[in-house]
Amino acid sequence: MVVKVKNVVKRYEEKIALDHFNMEVNEGEILGLLGPNGCGKTTAINCILSLLKFDKGEIQVFGRKMTPNSYDIKRQIGLVPQEVSVFENLTVKENIDYFCGLYIDDKNTRRQYVEEAIEFVGLKDYVRFYPRKLSGGLKRRLNIACGIVHKPKLIFLDEPTVAVDAQSRNFILEGIKKLNREGSTVIYTTHYLEEAEMLCNRIIIMDNGKDIASGTIEELKAMITTLEKIVVRFVNIEDEVINKMYKIPHVIDIERNGEDFIIKFENGINNLSNLLSFIAEYNLTYIKLYSQLPTLNDVFLELTGKELRD
Amino acid sequence: MNIIRNYIYQGKNLFRDGTFLFWAMVYPIILAFFFNLAFSSMMNVNFDDIQVGIEENNYIFPILEEIEFINIHKITQDQVDEKLFNEEIDAFVDSDLHLTVKKSGIRQTIIKEVVEQIKQTVKLNRPIDGTEFSVNYVAGKNQESNSVIIIFYSLIAMVSTYGVFAGIETASLMQANLSNLGLRINATPLKKQNFLIAGVIVSLLLNLLANTGLLLFINYVLKIHLFTNIAYSLIFIILGNLLGVILGIFIGVSNKKSPNVKTAIAISLTLFLSFLSGMMGPWIKAIIEKYAPFLNRINPISIITNNLYRINLLGNTKSLGEGIAVLLIYSMVLLIGSYVFLRRKSYDSI
Ligand SMILES: Nc1ncnc2c1ncn2[C@@H]1O[C@H](COP(=O)(O)OP(=O)(O)OP(=O)(O)O)[C@@H](O)[C@H]1O
Ligand SMILES: [Mg+2]
Repeated sequence: MVVKVKNVVKRYEEKIALDHFNMEVNEGEILGLLGPNGCGKTTAINCILSLLKFDKGEIQVFGRKMTPNSYDIKRQIGLVPQEVSVFENLTVKENIDYFCGLYIDDKNTRRQYVEEAIEFVGLKDYVRFYPRKLSGGLKRRLNIACGIVHKPKLIFLDEPTVAVDAQSRNFILEGIKKLNREGSTVIYTTHYLEEAEMLCNRIIIMDNGKDIASGTIEELKAMITTLEKIVVRFVNIEDEVINKMYKIPHVIDIERNGEDFIIKFENGINNLSNLLSFIAEYNLTYIKLYSQLPTLNDVFLELTGKELRD
Repeated sequence: MNIIRNYIYQGKNLFRDGTFLFWAMVYPIILAFFFNLAFSSMMNVNFDDIQVGIEENNYIFPILEEIEFINIHKITQDQVDEKLFNEEIDAFVDSDLHLTVKKSGIRQTIIKEVVEQIKQTVKLNRPIDGTEFSVNYVAGKNQESNSVIIIFYSLIAMVSTYGVFAGIETASLMQANLSNLGLRINATPLKKQNFLIAGVIVSLLLNLLANTGLLLFINYVLKIHLFTNIAYSLIFIILGNLLGVILGIFIGVSNKKSPNVKTAIAISLTLFLSFLSGMMGPWIKAIIEKYAPFLNRINPISIITNNLYRINLLGNTKSLGEGIAVLLIYSMVLLIGSYVFLRRKSYDSI
């Protein structure tokens, strides 16, 4: 177990930011911490890194209790903070080199790592720029580079791709996967569902300071009752026929959205062909018909009653 | 971890910092420039001889000729107007020892005094010796310029504490609850005390560099020579630097105000103390000396100003101990105060 967070409570004066929060991170995985603004993701990271005091609970990193003086643990960690945190008066390259040098002593290794990090975030053309001369997205890329340059065993990335354009984002996500393949364990916070789905082996869904669910994407999807939705639009259909549709195996609900019907199925097989047989039997005409597998948003919606949308 | 690299990068970051560059490097030079402009009439007297026109047959001609700081021009009565107008001479002495001048200023006042003294001496029938006047004059001249020079010592005292800006910056980078960068640095294996020590040393060096720039400017550009004993003077300049940097760290770590507010606090505080030590005019010193003399003994800028003055103008290098002790005590107290805040390692709130 690389990180273990047990029943941690953190209050800021009135506000409870972490409410008996639990989290376990296994070696070699990319763990996504998924939740809406203000749910406590950043607070959780700061507590794990012992930058914040917490009121209750227990946190272990690499099997040991983390304290502000655990320099040997910190040596194996990389942090990409949510806010851009770089020296304003050092250039892109100097910044990356500075942070690399806090971990890596050997000059040649350092030089190579710095080059690789610059490559990683695609800042090759900007190495001599001061941060204030970089656009918002480029600044974020520098922020990422400073946190991963030393190839740490454990990396925290706190919403690193906010404001980064789609193309660079994919590039960076690929880079994170590569770091992971090379042996880094990654903890990645985000409120982008697609990002979490694309990147993470396992996800912890957070809301209001609590971990409300965790598991692989398949496991999470299996938690909810609706497992398949089929959207269909008919030419002329009577309510009576609609009601008969509830007889199709596994149908749990039918929702109307304009002219479309959304037919929800619980776990089951052959849902689509069962529906098609029904259509043939009643001689119905449809204009469109497609099947949707549940998304993380459906999971989030069902677990919290809220949508998690950007 | 490579400690030297940390020093170099912290130094680069500070040296390129706009706040530091302006307040520690540029602003003092601007102040010195304007002080010089405002007071140069009082000080030029130090450096040029006074030009006096006189007829060759005047009986005080040989006396004036012997006075070191007077430059004699042999002229005739009908050249006087023209020479005065062209400012080739500051004054003309006629056979009755009356002065003709075009304007009145310090140089005219001095020559008038000298001539008066000669008249007195002649009246008393004492032997006349040119050197006597020069001694008197030099004493008088110093009196005049000393009070102006205080302003410059006070300026130097003030900027010796301008490491305060670098101190504030260092503090902000060190604390996770003061800046984003502070948070990031606290997550690295760099020990806080190493960052602090590097910050202090780098701040001291950079501010001393800035001070050197100012001293060179005053000495070579403004041509005001302030130092006769640079070694003793350095003791106080360095103590001022130490106090400034530690004060900056204390202002930095003791509250959560924004860096701009902290800089403003530092500027106002040092400016006020410099004002009390005579930077805006030596008269304030006289007032304080009269009504609250202890203020001059506890105001760190006054302590530095007064000691620079004593060391360099009065040539007095005794009893510097009290000033040194007070400055060190301030530094110690602020250091301990800062430690109380720095000791805290994780925060209730970021
Ligand atoms: N210093 C603070 N003082 C008081 N409340 C705070 C402080 N920092 C955070 N909070 C509150 O704690 C809660 C959790 O904040 P946190 O920053 O951990 O959320 P987050 O999940 O990282 O959100 P985001 O996605 O917007 O980054 C929020 O309600 C926030 O308002
Ligand atoms: Mg956050």
